[in-house]
Amino acid sequence: MRLFKHTDIDFLGKRKKFYAVSIVFIIVGLVVLFLKGIPLGIDFQGGTEMQVRFNAPIEVSELRGAMDKAGFAGMEIKSMGSASDYLLRTPLQGEGQTVADKIQTGIKENIAGKDFQVMRTDKVGPKIGKELRTNAIYAIVFSLLGILIYLALRFQFVYAVGAVVGLFHDVLITISAVAIFDAIFPQLQLEFNQQMLAAFLTLIGFSVNDTVIIFDRIRENIKLFKNEDIEQVMNKSVNTTLSRTIITSGTVFLTVLVLFIFGGEVLRAFAFTFAVGVITGTYSSVFVSSSIVVDWKHRIIDKNKGRVSLSKN
Amino acid sequence: MKKNLLRIILTVIFIAAAIMYLLPTYQDYQIGKQLAGLTGQDSLDFVTKNADKIKKSRDGRIKLGLDLKGGMYVVLDVDVVKLLQDLTKKKDDATLNQILDDLRNVPETSDIPLMEILKQKLKEKGLNLKSFYGEVRDSEADVEAKLNKEVDNAIDRAVEIVRNRIDQYGVAEPQIQKIGGKRIIVELPGINNPGEVRKLLQGTALLQFQLLKDPESAVKVMQSINSILVGKQITDSTGTKSNKLDSLKSKDLVTSKDSTKKELAGKNDIKKDTTKTKKDIAKKETNKKDSTKTNKKDSTKKTDTSKLAGDTSNLKDTSQANLSEEEFKLKFPFFYLVRLNEQSGTADGYVREQDKEKVDLILKREDVKSIIPSDVMFAWSQRSFETGGEKIFTLYCLKKDAELTGKVIEDARSNIDPQSNTPIVSMSMSSEGSADWARITGANINKRCAIVLDNVVYSAPVIRSKISGGNSQIEGMGSVQEAKLLEIVLKAGALPAPLKIAEERSIGPSLGEDSIKKGLTSSLVALLLVALFMIVYYRTGGSIADLALIINVLFVVGIMASFKATLTLPGIAGLVLTLGMAVDTNVLIFERIREEMGSGKPFRTSVDIGYKKAFSAIIDAHVTSIITGIILYQFGTGPIQGFALTLLFGLAANLFTAIVITHFIFDMLIEKGKHVSIG
Repeated sequence: MRLFKHTDIDFLGKRKKFYAVSIVFIIVGLVVLFLKGIPLGIDFQGGTEMQVRFNAPIEVSELRGAMDKAGFAGMEIKSMGSASDYLLRTPLQGEGQTVADKIQTGIKENIAGKDFQVMRTDKVGPKIGKELRTNAIYAIVFSLLGILIYLALRFQFVYAVGAVVGLFHDVLITISAVAIFDAIFPQLQLEFNQQMLAAFLTLIGFSVNDTVIIFDRIRENIKLFKNEDIEQVMNKSVNTTLSRTIITSGTVFLTVLVLFIFGGEVLRAFAFTFAVGVITGTYSSVFVSSSIVVDWKHRIIDKNKGRVSLSKN
Repeated sequence: MKKNLLRIILTVIFIAAAIMYLLPTYQDYQIGKQLAGLTGQDSLDFVTKNADKIKKSRDGRIKLGLDLKGGMYVVLDVDVVKLLQDLTKKKDDATLNQILDDLRNVPETSDIPLMEILKQKLKEKGLNLKSFYGEVRDSEADVEAKLNKEVDNAIDRAVEIVRNRIDQYGVAEPQIQKIGGKRIIVELPGINNPGEVRKLLQGTALLQFQLLKDPESAVKVMQSINSILVGKQITDSTGTKSNKLDSLKSKDLVTSKDSTKKELAGKNDIKKDTTKTKKDIAKKETNKKDSTKTNKKDSTKKTDTSKLAGDTSNLKDTSQANLSEEEFKLKFPFFYLVRLNEQSGTADGYVREQDKEKVDLILKREDVKSIIPSDVMFAWSQRSFETGGEKIFTLYCLKKDAELTGKVIEDARSNIDPQSNTPIVSMSMSSEGSADWARITGANINKRCAIVLDNVVYSAPVIRSKISGGNSQIEGMGSVQEAKLLEIVLKAGALPAPLKIAEERSIGPSLGEDSIKKGLTSSLVALLLVALFMIVYYRTGGSIADLALIINVLFVVGIMASFKATLTLPGIAGLVLTLGMAVDTNVLIFERIREEMGSGKPFRTSVDIGYKKAFSAIIDAHVTSIITGIILYQFGTGPIQGFALTLLFGLAANLFTAIVITHFIFDMLIEKGKHVSIG
């Protein structure tokens, strides 16, 4: 069975249009981020969070009333998909008799006749929160740097730059998507926590994997078609790898989709983020990373009039 | 063919190793299933019968992370302000207290070290650190260095205290880690009681000096416990007993001692250990003096034992010959578990690690508790020694009332004694404590005094002489580490290690169950879908790829078991993603082969060229992912590291399966002249 046979699509000819698409996406995302702020979980900002399950459905308003009485006015209360599962969150995190205890007594005292169990409590101190945040930024920056160096060694510097710009693009778009979807579907619980960090690093890994495979073919084809323009060589490379790109991205997307639907709430945010990442990662390999390399090369060729390829491979 | 042979051998070795490492996990699962079907006495019998097997499989199995199993994760930080409050000489100084209160309000996220802020604030008021924390001859820099060192020491003390308590609390597989020199991470699987754990971790440690009960009465107490276990009721444990009973008991004791010797084959080890526990508290004594003291002690020991053995010594041999291991167990259940050693002249009970829990249960029984005299308590040794491959703990019989608490200790330091070249610990006491200490040591020469932290005995040295002046020296440590530990423990008694909880996560068991169920099912469903697609799309090639996938999973899980790594939910996600990469690798190769075939090359050549050409892309893709994985492991914590770890293991396994195993299967099939369809 073959889904794609000898395609000959002029991907890179349309790159200017897709630049526009990417820029629009990023701008919209940044606006949403600016208006809404990045939804940070308590991992990165400190606070106390408690997930409770009631033995009977309960209204959010009833729970909110109980929390107001317990001294947690304006506490963040989210339903977790059902009317008996809730997530309670406050930036507070006291010493001694902790916030978690107070929340529990608050529910016990103010909600009569409903039993509940605490599924999970997390308390993160501000210092730890700050450290986790710094470490997250380090993790992203260093992995991008590591990839940049490795690709510069294996390909050329311009390819490394193309790949890393593509990764920046993917990260930005995914952050925007998270912010937008969090605004529309709060029950997805999309917010930046440690798991989300894992999702971002995975999507970086996946996206660069995809880019590398196209670049690998370009590297090979440049040697084969020495007299052709880089844009043509690239188009050829993207077309010959298209089948693998679609099949791989398709199967990974399928996997992540299954995790998203059936994986339970712990995996949901992870799966969502990564699903977005698979789409933008596949897209950016062609329309960002490869496109940048083409434009860069054209520029050099224009400068040097006539001298064709600068490929060292 | 030669190349194939190497591949076959490698593959077989790796698969065998993976299976070997996974065996304990499987056994543990089986045992769990068997146990679930049993109740009450049956399950207890099952556990006793299979103790070794259970322990072995439990040690070797893949551990589940807190997110899958439920439990608590706590990060503890040293409370520097509290420490500064405890350390100062002028606890009532209003200015200092005001400054320390201000320090409390410094936001935790501040980047300036508290010590700097303290110095600054003192300077503003025209004061310095020295006036609150130093001695006359210290320089300001010395004082600062000393304070910083105290902060470091505090974390060591805290680790010891926390470990000690958690061991006593009885958590299975706890993890206590010191991170970055200033923090403790505690993981308690299966525990879901935040309040209690908080108390456990933050409470002040209690260090006490407690005298040991004299061996004679200690043995009597143990005898009465034994009698209760065999069902003989004793009305008065210390007073008069019938002659018959008495003689029987003396006989019991002798037998038990002998069989201890028999059981713990390495008699020397025990001796060694006893000498080890005979740590000398003394103010530098000459060797000669020391040896006379020892002799004196030995003679008392002799009288002790002869008294205990009594006139039944004639019976000794016959009874020993008559009693088999089983009979002994039946008649003297307590001494079967708690072995005494006649030679040592002490009543230290030696207990195998797996029997510890049983002894604890016995000591907690109401009827047993009621016959233990009110001034007596039992306590475990912190350290164990090994005999015949088994860990042996010591059970001490102590006087309940502490002679002195650790608060009187001013300082403790471990050192190497220049004269004997052995590790020693010196400790100094406050003037108030010194007076008490002189009285206590003077009245109890040649008796043993246990150093007890939170009810666990760290050392039980013999008092050699009256110690006046408060400077004592403890000798006889087996190693520098042991001395260092005792130093930490003594200091823990002197100074509480003020801790605050910086991070606390608790996951209820039902949530853990929920996530493992959902995580596993969804992963399986995803995997099946992908596998099915591969077969449909690539036919035989797809089946080979699927086989590689299965081997891949086996490898990853096997590597995890061999590294004793913990499987977390993000870990499962990482596994699924490596499988994604594995599929990609195969797709890449197959598409390449198809391309080559499309250009008219024969199948065999196409396969070889396909693998060769796909290789560079596979390597580059994997190396970049490995780079991200390593960085993730470096900067992530807990669950994220789990994710990075499975990712890394998966990538390594994948390189092997895709490049070696599938290629070799292709080669084999082609050589056999079979047509291999790749769709």
